[in-house]
Amino acid sequence: MELEERARDSADNCIACTSCVAVCPVTKANPDYRGPKLVGPAHNRMHFSDESDYEDSLKLCSNCKNCDITCPNGVSVATLNMLERAKYYKAHPEKHTQADQMLSHNFQMADMLKSIPFGRSCANLGMSIGEAMGMMGAMGIAPQRKSPRFATKYFRELYKEIKQPEGLTKEVLFFPGCFIDVNDPEVGVAFVKVMNANGYKVLMDDRFKCCGSPLVVGGYLDEARSHADSNVAVINEYAAKNIPVIACCTSCSLMLKAEYTELFAQEEMAQAAKNVYDAFEFLTILADQGELKKVQVSSDKKFIYHAPCHLRAQGMGMPAVDLLKEIGVNIDSADAGCCGMSGSYGFHKENYETSMKIGSELFDKINASGAHKVVCDCGTCREQIKHGTNAKTTHPIQVLAKAYEQ
Amino acid sequence: MSKSDVVVIGNGFAGLMSALVSADQGKKVTLLSYGAGTFPLNSGVIDVLGYDDSGKAVANPAQAVGAVADEHPYKKIGTQALEESVKFFQDVVAAEGFPYVGSLNEQQWLITGVGTLKPSCLIPESMQGSKCFEASEIVLVGVKGLKDYYVDMVAENLAKELGNDKKYTVVTVDPHYKGARDLTTKDVASWMDTDAGYSDFVSQVKESAGAGKVIVVPQILGLKGNVVWKKIVAELGCPVVETTAMPPSVNGLRLRDVLLSALKKKGITVIENSKAEEAVIEGSKAVAVKAGGEVRLQTYNADKFIVATGGFYSGGITMRDFGEAKEVIFGLPIECDCVEERWVNKQLFSDKKQTFAKTGVRVDATLRGVNESGNVVLQNVYVAGRNLSGYDFCFEHSGNGVALASAYKAAKA
Repeated sequence: MELEERARDSADNCIACTSCVAVCPVTKANPDYRGPKLVGPAHNRMHFSDESDYEDSLKLCSNCKNCDITCPNGVSVATLNMLERAKYYKAHPEKHTQADQMLSHNFQMADMLKSIPFGRSCANLGMSIGEAMGMMGAMGIAPQRKSPRFATKYFRELYKEIKQPEGLTKEVLFFPGCFIDVNDPEVGVAFVKVMNANGYKVLMDDRFKCCGSPLVVGGYLDEARSHADSNVAVINEYAAKNIPVIACCTSCSLMLKAEYTELFAQEEMAQAAKNVYDAFEFLTILADQGELKKVQVSSDKKFIYHAPCHLRAQGMGMPAVDLLKEIGVNIDSADAGCCGMSGSYGFHKENYETSMKIGSELFDKINASGAHKVVCDCGTCREQIKHGTNAKTTHPIQVLAKAYEQ
Repeated sequence: MSKSDVVVIGNGFAGLMSALVSADQGKKVTLLSYGAGTFPLNSGVIDVLGYDDSGKAVANPAQAVGAVADEHPYKKIGTQALEESVKFFQDVVAAEGFPYVGSLNEQQWLITGVGTLKPSCLIPESMQGSKCFEASEIVLVGVKGLKDYYVDMVAENLAKELGNDKKYTVVTVDPHYKGARDLTTKDVASWMDTDAGYSDFVSQVKESAGAGKVIVVPQILGLKGNVVWKKIVAELGCPVVETTAMPPSVNGLRLRDVLLSALKKKGITVIENSKAEEAVIEGSKAVAVKAGGEVRLQTYNADKFIVATGGFYSGGITMRDFGEAKEVIFGLPIECDCVEERWVNKQLFSDKKQTFAKTGVRVDATLRGVNESGNVVLQNVYVAGRNLSGYDFCFEHSGNGVALASAYKAAKA
């Protein structure tokens, strides 16, 4: 059922104060971008009829949400941009590039490779050869970047090999998201360890699909809607059994908690959102109730934390930093804004320069920090940090899992 | 979430100053922010009192503040707190390397973005319009492609203000901008922050500079405090003055950055995108506020709360039905002359204050909300900034002054 309050109507709350233009990382880095105010809210009030109506800089928005964070009037600026972009591509499907297709549908590739013997190793080898021969650029993908490799075992496979302790009475359902599932499954393994140590059994449900964030950014809104509908049905099924759904990727959790409802305004989505938690949000709730496993770290290794924009947009501060500090980890927030990657955005050849310009402040801070590792909840932020610095990266849940091992 | 000593609600000038003063008292502070406050919209200058109740220009803010009506927030705050707050602010920004000039005993003069003069009290060194008073020649710099800055109009208006015995010269700088959009002052300021941009700019104005002259530029001298201003004054050998600007305001953003940097040094926790929705009240005290962005509210416990949510203009106070004004978090008592005939003065720029603008929380001298009989409703909830009743900041030019002084008093209480 459609909700009465729709994010797409929030354009009327825009008073054109330009606060969003002032903080937009893309506006700062790329003089061709007109800025969030003029692309989403202003365009929302007009209608595309043909290509001549197209706002040239619409495709430059990275959906990082800094505009939403800064807006004093609750306008869903980035979502308005995405809705406008979807409208455009619906009228002009031929304008989708090969890179759009690939970067928005990585989940399809991942599934296909899994079904082919040695598919993943071959694909990784193929990527190495492709990168070495400069083929990525020809496909519209930034040739400077190393594409994330496919893990030889996805998390969904590793999960089946994990022996969780007997007799755990409480359960949570894990939403791994594509990056953790196929590129960085060790984060999922660490999550299971942490939840087990706190008395929770971790469940998986094969019906979960990609959250749809890359589809939305690529302008494939109908596909994203179908992903949303099926994920929401699963989440609500578990909600009925009082089993919370937890994600370790902050872009996935933002999608499930907020963006589905913003984009599609369905009551079931708003309902499902209430059953979704970011991992450290959930652990903080346990801590507040005195139920979190107590541990004290006595290492003086220094960590630096990068807060993903999609976490900052969730309006709950930085629960991972607070919790890790509490147990004695020497960690400080870099406070350097957006990393510039924004999911698949920075992988596009034409966005590469903008993406690296945006990230430069963060790179400088990390390089100057002398930290042992960079801690960050978002997989593609970590890719960007590895690319822009020589730092090692980790997910905060891995830091906590390690602390539990001591 | 561990308990704080003080939770400050609001991310504008009053909120940030409340947090800083509280932390200076050794308190553990959490600041709940929603939106960027008015920093990108105002010029980051501190007007204390520009005009008195009758609309007459104020020459000495300290004296005029002593004579305001009983309903005015300054009356409740008192001149001592105002004086201390000014010193506190000047110490904070100076320690961050971004000093503000001015005192409560005289007005500073700003050149506006249309070339008129405007009084203010505390301003950054780069905006001292008074430097023009003694100059024999004013060189007005425009920037090619810059939106909403018409340098010829600025020159014409400034000549009306300062007299035709001076020479007015216009120079237009070309930033060699290749982008597809209109330039904002922030874009030009970013360009000035680069070595190449700075040198390019200097090479285009250097010939027009010299002893006895003053260079007037839009608000473009870099985004990082006074770094570019100091460099360019030394290089050009004459005063350089920035005007106020259309949003996004570069100096507002500079001030915000400087205050956030001070906040970070004091270890203040800032929660972004977190709109305070409701309070948990026990007896005559608040014990927590619930705030959050997406899906669920987080509970923030504290011993003390400072409400700096920006009044009508920023949603701290709402009025869905006429006469039913509400302070949205704690339900603090509102003082409001809700009579339709008196509510709006249709002549926007006349010599009368706007009734709607004076609507706000009724407080006593401790800045806590009081009911009609003058009794404090919540013992540990204090009010700062635009939430206060009894003044029209647009009319009297007192916005950031009231914000600063009330933040200071609320935090000290």
